[in-house]
Amino acid sequence: MLSVRNVSLAYGANTILEAIDLTVEAGKFASLIGPSGSGKTSILRAVTELMAPHQGTIDLDAPLTEVGFLFQDDALLPWRTARQNVALGLRIRGEPQTAANETAETWLGRLGLEGFGDRYPRQLSGGQRKRVAIAQVLALQPKLLLMDEPFASLDAIVRTRITQELLDWVERERMTVLLVTHDLEEAITLSDVVYVLSQGPRATVRARHEVAIPRPRRVVETRENPVFAQLLKTLWNELSDSTSVESVNA
Amino acid sequence: MTVSLNRPAVRRAAAFAFLLLLWEGLSRLGVIDPFYLPPPTRVAAVLVTLFADGEIWPHLQATFTAALLGLIAGLVLGIVLGFAAALIPILAELLEPVMILLNAIPRVILAPLFVIWLGIDLASKVALALILVAVLIFFAVYSGIKEVDQRLVERVRTLGGGRAVLIREVYVPSVTTWVLGSLKVAVGFAFTGAVVGEFVASSRGLGYLLQFAQSTYNAALTLALIFLIMAFVLVLFAASEWLERWLLHWRYA
Repeated sequence: MLSVRNVSLAYGANTILEAIDLTVEAGKFASLIGPSGSGKTSILRAVTELMAPHQGTIDLDAPLTEVGFLFQDDALLPWRTARQNVALGLRIRGEPQTAANETAETWLGRLGLEGFGDRYPRQLSGGQRKRVAIAQVLALQPKLLLMDEPFASLDAIVRTRITQELLDWVERERMTVLLVTHDLEEAITLSDVVYVLSQGPRATVRARHEVAIPRPRRVVETRENPVFAQLLKTLWNELSDSTSVESVNA
Repeated sequence: MTVSLNRPAVRRAAAFAFLLLLWEGLSRLGVIDPFYLPPPTRVAAVLVTLFADGEIWPHLQATFTAALLGLIAGLVLGIVLGFAAALIPILAELLEPVMILLNAIPRVILAPLFVIWLGIDLASKVALALILVAVLIFFAVYSGIKEVDQRLVERVRTLGGGRAVLIREVYVPSVTTWVLGSLKVAVGFAFTGAVVGEFVASSRGLGYLLQFAQSTYNAALTLALIFLIMAFVLVLFAASEWLERWLLHWRYA
């Protein structure tokens, strides 16, 4: 579905990522973990052409319109209601207003926001805004979903719940996902494959691990699986090798 | 309804009434010379006469027409130039220094030039109000677009939105908030332009009347006109606020 080969990314003269190789197969959930500031986000920006790679190639088995990007923050259009925000992508794809609004309402309902369609973003809590942002992306039924630390700003309880909801969807729809995160537990819980990024500048992929935990998974129970503990330790060691503990927690 | 001193509006009205009473008393007792500061009752009487004999209407009409035309034309010109400069780099390169210069000088010094170019009638007043408003709005729009929330831009782009969608969904609404933020200042500027234009050369308008009152040392008429202009500007402020609440309802919802 997605293949990133020998990609380097630079901001001006500063090379942040060098010779990145990673593959996400159709129907698989891949994570890219690395310390904050290692340039993980830039990979997703390059895939969605918000940024041009310095060198290397990015092959995508789907048009860009089939790629959903769930950003780290939940910036919604403040002058549009939750429903209008969710309907936006559908409207851009040429769906008539009534149909787009109906689809938007359905997705809001699926994410537990029934009856919130007429609220403006400032009338919603952080968790609710995040759900609207998820609905906005999922409503387009993307073939490939890119996520940039989407739950970092949420408190633990809301976070666990939303993660579970997303996991259910991904497993049911066999969605292809690339998640970028510094949260090792989140990466293991959700992924089939985990890529580990070394400390920047000039960060590169230093390891690849398969997560041998059967699906469907439950967020809370997955943590009790022995594979989870073993892999967590491995990842932790790999990251500690290349960075200080502080920046992992940051 | 009970009137309580706990509310700011009531306290302000009370303070205002007290000052008027003090002024009236001091003026009547001869502590302050009524030649320089006639008591409020006399100022009010002048106002009533102005309206009663209908003398004020053509002047009000002249000033209002100039201010409103200047305001509307200034808003349109400022918005168009601001958008154009933000979207077309070469235009920004040419416009920015001119606008910065116009912004730096007290633009009312252009009044005599407009009189020479456009005559002593309406056109020169509209032009002055327009230039005062347009420069203000230009910067509101231009910097508004440059400082648009880039996260929203990227979000709309990854949802598949092109330039047209970006302008409609992100730029126009952001710029609306910026322009509305400057609207009250613009209203004040439009009246400044109209009245100052009338000061410089005119045969009608509140500025013309003010000029006349000053040259005849008529303090009561001068004060009456000042209060009149204040009252009208306050009404337009209220209208701007209503417009803001209507257009930015998502902020107040």
